Amino acid sequence: MFAVILIPDFCLQAVLRLEPGLEGQAVALVDSELPKPVVIEVTSAARAQGVSEGLTASQAMARCPHLVSRARSAAREHLASEVLLQCAYAFSPQLEATRPGVCTLSLKGLPLGPETAAMEQWAAKIIEALASLHLEARVGIAITPALALLAAQSDPPGAHLNFCENSAGQSGNLNIEGNHSRQAPHPALSPSDGERVAEGRVRGSQKLSYARQPVRIVRDPAEFIAEMPLTALEPPPEILEILRRWGIRTAGALLALGKERLTERIGPAALELFKRVSPRAIRPLKPAVPPQKYAEEMEFENEIETVEPLWFVLRRFVEQLSRRLELSHQVVAAFHLRLNLASGSAYEHAFHIPAPTGNVDVLFRILQTHLETVRTDSPIVSLRLMATPSRAATHQFGLFETSLRDPNQFAETLGRLTALCGADRVGTPEVLATHRPDAFRLKTPEFGATRKDNPSLFANAASAQGLLLRRLRPAVSARIEFRRQRPVSLRSSIFSGTIAGARGPFLSSGDWWEQNRWSREEWDVQTVDGALYRIFLGADGGGFVEGVYD
Amino acid sequence: MPAERIIQLRQLLTERFPGSRAFTNGPAFSPDNLPSPPRTATGGCPDLEPGALTEIVSEKRGTGSALLLAALIQRAFQENRVTALVDGRDSFDPASAAVELSHLLWVRCHSAAEALKAADLLLRDRNVALILLDLATNPAVELRKIQPTTWYRFQRLLEHTSAACAVVTPFALVSSARSRLILPARFSLEALDRNREVLLAEIQVTVSETRHSARNREPRQKTA
Repeated sequence: MFAVILIPDFCLQAVLRLEPGLEGQAVALVDSELPKPVVIEVTSAARAQGVSEGLTASQAMARCPHLVSRARSAAREHLASEVLLQCAYAFSPQLEATRPGVCTLSLKGLPLGPETAAMEQWAAKIIEALASLHLEARVGIAITPALALLAAQSDPPGAHLNFCENSAGQSGNLNIEGNHSRQAPHPALSPSDGERVAEGRVRGSQKLSYARQPVRIVRDPAEFIAEMPLTALEPPPEILEILRRWGIRTAGALLALGKERLTERIGPAALELFKRVSPRAIRPLKPAVPPQKYAEEMEFENEIETVEPLWFVLRRFVEQLSRRLELSHQVVAAFHLRLNLASGSAYEHAFHIPAPTGNVDVLFRILQTHLETVRTDSPIVSLRLMATPSRAATHQFGLFETSLRDPNQFAETLGRLTALCGADRVGTPEVLATHRPDAFRLKTPEFGATRKDNPSLFANAASAQGLLLRRLRPAVSARIEFRRQRPVSLRSSIFSGTIAGARGPFLSSGDWWEQNRWSREEWDVQTVDGALYRIFLGADGGGFVEGVYD
Repeated sequence: MPAERIIQLRQLLTERFPGSRAFTNGPAFSPDNLPSPPRTATGGCPDLEPGALTEIVSEKRGTGSALLLAALIQRAFQENRVTALVDGRDSFDPASAAVELSHLLWVRCHSAAEALKAADLLLRDRNVALILLDLATNPAVELRKIQPTTWYRFQRLLEHTSAACAVVTPFALVSSARSRLILPARFSLEALDRNREVLLAEIQVTVSETRHSARNREPRQKTA
C-alpha cells in the first residue's frame, strides 16, 4: 500500500502559512513570472467574491475590492516542500518527493495492519501534523502510488469547495500558459463500498477549506476507477479527443481496453495513462531524504521600521521550527537570525540556547529580549531564522553542584541585564595576568564549574591582606601636596584636607614595549577623617585618587 | 460576622497558609513584639537569612563593608551557590578581592536606580542564591529617591525562596530588611598590612532587628 500526501493549492498555501494575518481573507496568488501575469490560485473567500484563476490582477481587483494579492514565491515554496518532506519522514522512512506539494509514502513495514481504522488514524495524524505547520493536506491510500494520488485528489460530491466552479467544461483541470497546473479532484467520484472516506481530525485554521474529508482509502481499485472520468487522469488533449471518439469516458473503460491493444492503437502516451489506473502497475519510489536544515524565511512586502511587527512573524517562525523539530524528536539548541536591511547590509546574531528546548515561549522570549535592544541603520526587508537541532537533554540535578535551575530563564535575565547596563558591564569577572591596575575582563557566566575545596575563607589566603579597594572609575583627579617626599594634603572632589598617615611609595610600571606603557607611584593614605584612600601619581606627574579602602 | 468567627478564620488561615500575611493588619502593641535591643557581635562572615532582606549599613568609609562582601562571595562559592553582585557605582575591584569569582555574576551599574532595576530582574529570575546589592558608594541624593515600596517589593520577591539578599548602604535605608548589620568601627592604615581573615574577625557588627523583623517574628495567633 502507498499513501500520497497532497497539499492542494500548494503555491498559495506556501505563501499563506507564514502570514497568519491573512487567515480567512480573500487572497489571490499572482504568478508574475508568466508572460502575462495572472491569478493562479485563490482562497475560498476570494472565490466566493468571483475571483478565479486566469484573471489578471486588475480584473480580480475589479471583482473583489478587498482582495489581497500576493506574488508567487519560489523561496517559500521551497521551504514548504522541506516542511512537507520533514513531516512525512516522521510517518514513514520510505518516501518520495513526487512533485511540489505531493509526497508519496510507502506503508511497507509500518505497523498499521490491514485494518482501515488504523490507516485512517495514521493518515489523520499526518494531516494534524501538517495542520500544526499551517499546511492543509489530503491523504489518499491505495495499492499503487498513482491510485493513491488519484484518491488524494478525488473528493465526494459536495465535499470540495474550491476546485470545480470555474472550470466549466474543463473538469477541474486548468493549465495556464503551460507553466502551472493544479491537482484537480473528480466531481463525478463518490465514495462507495470499495472505498472509504474518513473524517480526519484537522487542527488549526481551515482557511482554504479543503479538508472536509481529507483521508480517502481505496480498498477496491476496480470500483474506484470504474466511474472515474478520463479528465481526472489529465491526458494530453489529442489522446483525450481520440478516446472520446471511441466512446471511452471513464478510466474503468480505458482499463478494460487492455494495455496491449491501447498501446498498439495510440502509442506510448496511452501506456502512461494505463499505468496510472492499473492496480498492477506499481512503480518504485524515488527515495528522498528530508533536508537536515531547519530554517524559515520571509521577505516583507513593506519595509519594517520598528521591531514590533517582527514579533508576529518571529513567533510563527519559532512555532514552526519548534514543531518541525518536535516531529523528529529534537529540540532547538541554537538560533541564527539574519535581518536583511534596505541598505544592503545585514544584521546577524547567533543565539545559544543554554538548555536546548522546544518550548515556544522560552525560545521566543530569548529572541525578543535581544531584539528589543537592537537598532539598525535602515529598515528591515527580510528575515531569516535558522534553528540548530539537538537531542533533548535530560539533567539530574545534584546536591553539590552550582548549575542553574532554569538556564534559559537565566539567559533571558542576562539578556535583560545586558540591555539595561550594557554588554560590557554584565558577566563573570576574570582578573588578567598583568600588573596593570584594574585589568580584568568579563566573560559569559558558566555556572557549571565544580567546587574547589579550599578551607580558607579567601581564595588566596597568603596574599589576601588588607582591606578591599572600592575603585573610583575613572580615577578622580586630585592635587596632592608632598612634603619631605611624603603626601601631606589632598584636594579632590571626594576629599579635601590633611593626610594623617601614608604608606608608600609603591612604584610600578609595565607594557614599556607597547604604545600604552604605564608607570605610577602609589600611596595608601589615611586622611584626618579616618578614611583610607589609594592615591597615585601618573607618568606625567598628575595626581589621582584611585579608590577607597573598605 | 461575630468577632470570634473572624479570629477562628484567621487562625485557620494561619495554620493552613503560614506564609500568608495578607489578612493581618500588623501586630498589636505589646511588650512581646517590641524590636529586640541592638546587640553587638564581632568576627566572621555573617549568616544571611534566606528569603529575607539583610541590610549592611556602612556609615563611614573604611568600616570593612567591601571586605564583608568579599567574604560573602567566597563563602557562597564554597557552598556552591550562584551569586550576583549588583554594583551600584561600579566600584568592585576583582583583583583586590582575591576570592573565587567563577560563580559570580557582576553587574556594573551606573546609578542606584539602574542597580535597583538589575536587582529586581535577578530577584525575579530565581536562579541566583545570593544577591548582593552594593549601594555603599552611591550618592545620598540617589538613595533618598528610592521609594520604600521598592524594598517591600524586593521582600515579597524573596519570600518563599531560599535566596538571600544583602543590601549595603551608607545609612539605614531598607525599610523591609529582616535584620540590619551596622558597621560602626573603622580600620586604620595598619590594617592594610594585616591578614584579611584576621581583619574580618575584628569587624564589629551591631545587629539590630527592624520593625519588619519583629512583626514577622510574632506568632500570628496573637495578632488576631
